[in-house]
Amino acid sequence: MVRFLVDRLLSLVPVLALVLVVIFSLARVIPGDPAVTLLGPGATQEQISALRLQLHLDQPVTQQFLSYVTGLAHGDMGRSVKSGRPVFEEIMRRLPATLELSVMAMLMAIVVGIPIGVFSAIRANSWFDHLVRVISLVGVSTPAFLLALILQLFFGIYLGWLPISGQTSPFIFTERVTGFALIDGLIAKDPPALWDAFLHLLLPTTVLAAFLAATIARFVRNSMLEVMGQDFIRTARAKGLSRYAVIFRHGLRNSLLAAITVIGMKFAEMLGGAILTETVFAWPGVGRFMFEAIKNRDYPVIQGATLVFAAMFVLTSLLVDLLYGRLDPRIRKKMQ
Amino acid sequence: MDHLLYFLKRNTLASVGLLLLALLLLMVLGVPWFTEMSPVAVNMSQQLLPPSWMHPLGTDYFGRDVWVRVIYGGRYTLAIGAGVVMVAFLMGVSFGIVAGFVGGWVDTVIMRSVDALLSFPTLVLAIALGAAFGPSLTNAMLAVAITLAPQFARVARAQALAISVKPYVEAARCLGVSTPRILWHYVLRNGMGPLLVQASLALGSAILQTASLGFLGLGAQPPAPEWGADVSANLPYLRASAWVALSPGVAILLAVLSFNLLGDALADWFNPSKRHAP
Amino acid sequence: MSRFKILSALMLACMFVAGPVFSQSDRNKTLVVAVSSDPANLEPGTNKAEPIGSEIIFNVFDTLVSWKAPAFQELEGRLAQSWGVSPDGKSFSFNLRPGVKFHDGTAMDAESVKFSIERTRDINPYMKSNFGLIESISLQGALDVKITLKEPMPVFLSLLAQPQAAIVSPTAAKKFGDKFSVNPVGTGPFMFKSYTPDTSVVLEANTSYFRGKPKLDRILYRVIPDASTRRLEMEKGGIDISQQNAQLSSIPADELKAFKDNKDIEVIEVPSQIIRQLEFNNNITENSPIKDVRVRKAITYAIDYDGLLKGVLGGTADRVYGPLTTNSWAFNPKMKAEAPNYDPTLARKMLQEAGVKPGDLKFTLYSFQGSLWGAMATLIKSNLADVGIEVTIAQTEFPSYRALQTAGKFELALDGRQPWYNDPDAHITIGYLSSLANSAMTFRMPKDPALDALILKAQTTVDFKKRKELYYEVQEAIANKVPGAYLFSPKLIVFKRANVKGLVVNSAPPLNEYWNVSKQ
Repeated sequence: MVRFLVDRLLSLVPVLALVLVVIFSLARVIPGDPAVTLLGPGATQEQISALRLQLHLDQPVTQQFLSYVTGLAHGDMGRSVKSGRPVFEEIMRRLPATLELSVMAMLMAIVVGIPIGVFSAIRANSWFDHLVRVISLVGVSTPAFLLALILQLFFGIYLGWLPISGQTSPFIFTERVTGFALIDGLIAKDPPALWDAFLHLLLPTTVLAAFLAATIARFVRNSMLEVMGQDFIRTARAKGLSRYAVIFRHGLRNSLLAAITVIGMKFAEMLGGAILTETVFAWPGVGRFMFEAIKNRDYPVIQGATLVFAAMFVLTSLLVDLLYGRLDPRIRKKMQ
Repeated sequence: MDHLLYFLKRNTLASVGLLLLALLLLMVLGVPWFTEMSPVAVNMSQQLLPPSWMHPLGTDYFGRDVWVRVIYGGRYTLAIGAGVVMVAFLMGVSFGIVAGFVGGWVDTVIMRSVDALLSFPTLVLAIALGAAFGPSLTNAMLAVAITLAPQFARVARAQALAISVKPYVEAARCLGVSTPRILWHYVLRNGMGPLLVQASLALGSAILQTASLGFLGLGAQPPAPEWGADVSANLPYLRASAWVALSPGVAILLAVLSFNLLGDALADWFNPSKRHAP
Repeated sequence: MSRFKILSALMLACMFVAGPVFSQSDRNKTLVVAVSSDPANLEPGTNKAEPIGSEIIFNVFDTLVSWKAPAFQELEGRLAQSWGVSPDGKSFSFNLRPGVKFHDGTAMDAESVKFSIERTRDINPYMKSNFGLIESISLQGALDVKITLKEPMPVFLSLLAQPQAAIVSPTAAKKFGDKFSVNPVGTGPFMFKSYTPDTSVVLEANTSYFRGKPKLDRILYRVIPDASTRRLEMEKGGIDISQQNAQLSSIPADELKAFKDNKDIEVIEVPSQIIRQLEFNNNITENSPIKDVRVRKAITYAIDYDGLLKGVLGGTADRVYGPLTTNSWAFNPKMKAEAPNYDPTLARKMLQEAGVKPGDLKFTLYSFQGSLWGAMATLIKSNLADVGIEVTIAQTEFPSYRALQTAGKFELALDGRQPWYNDPDAHITIGYLSSLANSAMTFRMPKDPALDALILKAQTTVDFKKRKELYYEVQEAIANKVPGAYLFSPKLIVFKRANVKGLVVNSAPPLNEYWNVSKQ
């Protein structure tokens, strides 16, 4: 087991290294340098050169790369070109917001997607099944920005039920402990703050979860149908097990295993896909931060945020593999 | 042919998908015969008109007919989808089958690179690439193709792995058939099924991603009627004249939907248990 | 099951009982301002003319001198009660107001002025070249400072009114070091309270402000990047003020329409000094049709200025007739009289006389990204097509566009300048001095010793009336060369809720001062 873990963790290194090289060169290939973008159209050459000097942009690329990597070894990701503050700090301040959104979206997607997928499979070809299939198809076909706008318009302005921007109301001051608005509200034992955080989460979570829930529902349905058609199910029924026992003990368990891999992969994707959602809902997360950094040619931030995303993706895959291993005895054996 | 008809009869969603797609193709390819209105002619006196008989979806900020713009935009969309998927397919599949068939360190290197590519948040990679090569439609398409290629590589590799151990491949090797020939005639031919499914699903994804890039301003340039770019260009008028921004958005939805339906249908078609009568 | 029900019932009850955390009276003493991106560089030492940072600086710090509202054409003393300029234009002496304290309790005096300006000169690359002209700053007394320049520069006074020239507390700057930009300490009407990245900045009233206590208790800047979200918040009352940052990339047409009918919201339009133009590459080396002044003139007559102002811009801009806007103190009225107007027939005739046939000319029109520039380009493309000129639009991402422009790789381009300080020099010198043609996005004027000498003379003449006359000459000389088609100057548009009173909107740089603002 330990060997397996160590093995996988070690494989993290070349992947991350490759990611680093790619993003470093990519960021530098993007035409236009950060000093220009920062200072805007009115700037003179003198002002730009002075800023470039200050930002060490005049050094050759290989030297910049080397100093960056040495910095990384010390846990220093450099400073943001725009704000001058340490990149690591900036990313970590915003990471909880993105995680909060992603985890809640994931939970919502699972809670909505799996039961629907299961029932859809059980009642295959019924009106429920057809309805579900259509809705989930529409769900994976809708551009996220369209859904976000429609929800905002409908729930935010026409009905006025839900807040349309931010992680918390600016008029509610909670002590920032973890950066997760829900948890901070709990720690502060402040019910209005908690409720406020919850309300703010609803719309962006729904937008982010829509695609994922639809994907999960489709996947679970197909997976269940496949599993249910297999011989061992017939055997179980023949043995006299009730319909529900068969479904839950045998059908669901097996199809869920495959679902976990998909969910894990999609979770990592979602971290990046949060960019559009975070922008439309003014959510103070890393996705939005990264997008602005690309616009501003803020190299250190682009590099740092990509590394963080890549690391999270690899770690998530690892977790998923471990989970899969624990649940599926056949794989568990292989890992030992 | 009978198989196909029987299949379609049993599978309503597949038929709907095919119908939708056919309709889309018809409208998009045949539009010059339906109307002479131009999608780019500016007419400031007809700004932001609500839907009417003359303009079924109203007009936009420049007085251009929205319906016509959406249809012409469909051409872009189909071209984008086809182009992106073709490039992604070629890139991904070539690397994938080589990795799966040859194995060893070639496999490891290729798959590690694929993994690295996969760990980039897709949109971020597309944005960075689009920004790197300059904001134009071709560059955005290239960017999306690069982000979609890994999926093809993975599927192709799995297929190659499965097929390379089949007896007929061994037989071919014994006969002295060259590796490229084996890859082409045996591996690719027989492994096509899942790849086609992946391709049609990727079409939907390609369109969504390119539309998102267009929405962010990194895709088609004005006055090109690309759907994503049109949604973002008309956002400022969303409250007063919602149809101008929503129409291209809904069009994206319908197009992607039809491709996803097609993908599902293909998946069912290639699944022997679903294709034939029980 | 029942425990869960009780818990949810309790939560619902709390929601109704607790209600809004801010009472109504608190809300009326707090001003909520929406901004579109994370505020950065909140102090003069690092500020590089970022719009939001500059506004916060103006409310947290004070400068030596300041532009008098509402015309912004005359300077008045802020931290300086009086000042004098030496006849050679090189020395500026300031007598400072006594008894002014920084937010941390330390006194504002000549020492702190010297410290602040030297600090900005040393660490702010944006100000390096301008403040680099300072030869020395000498203390003539506890409250008297003399700044001597290496060359005469009448513009220096205008520069001292800029956010980058604000006076900081030396104690605080030394204490916080490079964290000073998230803990700014000045003398201004508001004190910095907190900063939550990507979310908000909170300022609290400085009750001992020397001009009098502000009427508000608190200013809250909310970061809301999406325009439609800002609009929804404005309508719901979640924000009180939202400023269009000179509509760099889009026109708030939707908002304008909706807000004009909404009695809770007021739309304030203030003329700015920003100029947007269609410029020619005036020092192009290759053989190009735009080298012919007749072709350039024809193009300026082919553009539908009214269509642009009313149709595309929806009345949110004023026409510009020459190198300076009509609200500049140096504006030459002759420019308005002699400016081209929309006349496609005349344009076609001019092209004919230049030996050009319809369809001969094909250009690429470069511009910034954004729907506003796209709209401008689309209209111009259509206008030029009407006179037989074919145009391809290329909206380019800013850094690439700048690289292209400064390298002179274009013939026609849509461009604009927002003067970052309030003086005609800000438009004229940088835009038209031939030696600076490649140093920034300029009109790329070809070498003309007479014009260059005129521009430099106008920049350094100390006598106000003489300066004005010289700028009149400069404008006429430039207009004769037809370096571009002057299109419009966008108005600064501020949306505010009707109960916000006393707002002062600065035009150069465009930002708000909140000292005198109150809510009813």
